[in-house]
Amino acid sequence: MDVIRLEAVSLWRRTQEEFSYDLKTTIFALLDGRYRKPSKKQVLNQVDLRIQAGEKVGLIGANGSGKSTLLKLISGILKPTSGKVTVRGEIAPLIELGAGFDIDLSVQDNIVLYGVLLGFSGRTMTQRTPAILEFAELNEYSNMPVKALSSGMVARLGFAIATEVQPDILILDEVLSVGDERFKNKCQQRLERFWRANSTVLVVSHDLDYVRRSCDRVCWLDRGQVHFNGDPREGSTRYLDTVQPQGEVPR
Amino acid sequence: MTIAPALIPKTQRFLELLYVLTARNLKVRYRGSLLGVYWSLLNPVIMTGVYTAVFGTTFAAYYDNSVVNYVLAAFTGLVVISFFNSTTAQALPSVVRNGTLLNKIRLPIGVLPLSMVMANVFQFMVGAFPLLAIITLWVSGNPFHVLLLLLPVLALVIVTTGVSYILSGLYVFFRDLPYLYELVTFILLISSPVFYPAEIVPPLVQPFLALNPLSPIIESIRKLALKGETDLNQIGAAWVGSLVIAGLGWVAFRSWYDQFMDLL
Repeated sequence: MDVIRLEAVSLWRRTQEEFSYDLKTTIFALLDGRYRKPSKKQVLNQVDLRIQAGEKVGLIGANGSGKSTLLKLISGILKPTSGKVTVRGEIAPLIELGAGFDIDLSVQDNIVLYGVLLGFSGRTMTQRTPAILEFAELNEYSNMPVKALSSGMVARLGFAIATEVQPDILILDEVLSVGDERFKNKCQQRLERFWRANSTVLVVSHDLDYVRRSCDRVCWLDRGQVHFNGDPREGSTRYLDTVQPQGEVPR
Repeated sequence: MTIAPALIPKTQRFLELLYVLTARNLKVRYRGSLLGVYWSLLNPVIMTGVYTAVFGTTFAAYYDNSVVNYVLAAFTGLVVISFFNSTTAQALPSVVRNGTLLNKIRLPIGVLPLSMVMANVFQFMVGAFPLLAIITLWVSGNPFHVLLLLLPVLALVIVTTGVSYILSGLYVFFRDLPYLYELVTFILLISSPVFYPAEIVPPLVQPFLALNPLSPIIESIRKLALKGETDLNQIGAAWVGSLVIAGLGWVAFRSWYDQFMDLL
């Protein structure tokens, strides 16, 4: 069964650099007859992708190739310009932990706030607060404002909240480096448990070794198109070949 | 750690979000001290003092020769205006400010301006409304009028919500909107019969003042609180104006919705 299905998905986005963001400029441009419709750029081009339940898929590609955009489409943050995105099951986005925190609120309040933003009920979050504090090792800090925490602690808290409930689909966008070495291992263990428990996992990573080791499949995006989709070994090797400049010997 | 996802259905999610975000707005504002709610009354109280000091004796003639009546009229008007102005000004950046968050997590964007309105509604119901209720009881002696006060107050909340939606949506496209909106709030203050009697406005200009959606709200609150009169036509007018603006706001926000994410 496909849990994620992208059919001929294309996405055009407005280019921000050209956009004035300004009422004054827009009105003057209109008066001068210089007004142009904002230009759009194609970010994804006819992407077809099917992911089955329990598959672990690694997304690779250069910066700006559309990896994160693809994840945003799958999470429902963006809508495709054409084509169809179908997702079955609950998604837990683990994109840049801590984006939902309010640094002035206490750790406890933030657990509820962040959990509700992620789609859980306030009551569930209140019940889970002790377990989350426990995992993040922040028991003594529960009444302190988040701004009093170190950045490593904030990342730990974010990870603990987002992974407290096991999702059907887990999305990881370069977030595997959380906290110190010891905590990193703890995260790794928890993620591995998801891995084994038949969650569908989508990973964006520049760590090709990691992708090769942990994914069933690799999908290589190049300028908004799927360039390769298949065996992780073959995919990452071919990707490395194009990245390695000609004539330069890799160390 | 649980295996079964504990995620919740759409409507419940919207309400849960509205609740946590409203609570966050209030908590950040007051840092645990509920007395902070009364801080929001400082603005209308001081303004009433200033207007009374400057215009009180001159305009008292229009208020049955009573400075006290002038004070009460100015205060009721200012409470409404200051609710509208501060709420809309706070709701204006609500979508843009959460742009990073919206790029990470899928959220119903409309909950952001609404949670700002709700935080201010709470503040109003705890701070200004009891004062209006006391004035009403004191002047009209009719507890039923206190209940009726809720009608124009609800119209005020509706019109404020509509304008908040328009502003927070427009701000995504036009980041110089706050400067322009400052002018609009000033025009609203001047064109609402807040610190002057409506009678002094030249007949030629009067029809334009009628366009101000806050006027029927202020006037009907004054009639209920200060004269003990119930003018259902005026309350009806307040509701029609508010609903039209709220409808416009909702339609506008909906139609811009799909473009937001490209600009945040």
